[in-house]
Amino acid sequence: MQKFLLFLFWIAASLACTTAPATQPINGIPFDGTAYKPIYSSAEDLAKVKISAAEPLAEPGKIYLFDPYIFINESGKGIHIIDNSDPKNPKNLSFISITGNYDMAVKDNWLYADNLSNLLVFDIGDPKAPKLTKTIENAIPINSFPPHTNIYFECPEAKKGIVVGWEKVTISEQPKCFR
Amino acid sequence: MFQMMIHPLKNTTVMRELTTMKRKIVPILFLGLAVAGLLLILSSCESSDKSSDLSPQAGVGGSMARFAITGNTLYIVSKQSLEVYNITDGGSPVKAVKKNMNVGIETIFPYQSHLFIGANDGMYIYNNSNPNDPQLLSKFTHVQSCDPVVVQGKYAYVTLRSGALCRPGNTLSSLDVVDVSNPSNPAMVHSQVMSSPFGLGVSGNKLFICEGDQGFRVMDISNPILPVQKHFFAEIPSYDVIVRNKHLIITGKGGLFQYQFDQDDKYELLSKIPVL
Repeated sequence: MQKFLLFLFWIAASLACTTAPATQPINGIPFDGTAYKPIYSSAEDLAKVKISAAEPLAEPGKIYLFDPYIFINESGKGIHIIDNSDPKNPKNLSFISITGNYDMAVKDNWLYADNLSNLLVFDIGDPKAPKLTKTIENAIPINSFPPHTNIYFECPEAKKGIVVGWEKVTISEQPKCFR
Repeated sequence: MFQMMIHPLKNTTVMRELTTMKRKIVPILFLGLAVAGLLLILSSCESSDKSSDLSPQAGVGGSMARFAITGNTLYIVSKQSLEVYNITDGGSPVKAVKKNMNVGIETIFPYQSHLFIGANDGMYIYNNSNPNDPQLLSKFTHVQSCDPVVVQGKYAYVTLRSGALCRPGNTLSSLDVVDVSNPSNPAMVHSQVMSSPFGLGVSGNKLFICEGDQGFRVMDISNPILPVQKHFFAEIPSYDVIVRNKHLIITGKGGLFQYQFDQDDKYELLSKIPVL
């Protein structure tokens, strides 16, 4: 009986190998020469938060209104703080550089922001000079795959660092990971 | 003597009048109290109807948000969960609860005592009467897509964006109107085709839809279940929008744009901070 099971297992294993070689299309979606590649960062770089003078908008994302201030996310990079006391003449006050930032919310003088999987708390009593007062690590579960489906991607490797984003690249060899 | 006789009689008449007055006054008092109570209830309903922003000291996000604050609670949706933090002490958020969800969670929109969560496969409605422990009431399932949601009165407006990154295949993007008057049993009442919708905003009889690089759409929802297009501003590429008191704040590829609109549906550009 045991031998028979082993035999079945051997058949299944060999079938698995022959029916799904790495270069076959997965889910019927052929590899088109493009794939997503992880953008890595070290834990130290990820934790770096820099507060600077106003910076121009480059890739504005979500908005958060806390009268008279508008907070504008710079996709994946941080938060612009705008003084909107006069909506005809909004003033760009400051920029908080945060890796992996897309979201924020404000209560009283506290600004909450995501830093990939970390939740950051800033004291914005002086919106020109926000102060990082707390970091709650691993507050936000994150995925180790790109935010897209039906695409090929390079499998992340923990030894290379923390995945902070994904970039679409053209590559010659079909990656092993797909979703 | 006659006088003496009449006096007690007079007294009793007075007494009777007093008691009848009492009989009249007491119901009037009760009625008055009831009316006052009703007015109070109605006015509180009205004021909470006006805005989705439940707590005066917190701000308000756009429909694309994954972070939301109501009162002393911070809600964060990750791709696969709802994370709830108590921020009574604003400087020290304390984890209250975590609700595991399916993968593909995108946005959160608090409205009155409910949380509307947009996901790749539908819209989840949580009751957050107990803010530190929201309860799942229902899930309105739709085709695979990217979909923020806003709510006003009985209706939720959900945009479903198709495209390689959101919805496989060639299905069209759409705007769905969902009756959420019974949050335990949401029902779709209308759907129409959109271009490439991202964030959306609702205020009074107006529904605003960010159509990505294609522009900005203004719809009339005087009939809330039948949005009718009023304007399409191709010159305003848009991603997220916040609408407050006839004031629009829009972000997009071009930067930050602010507009003022009036009753006659005229739009005046207040300012812009361009992308450099």
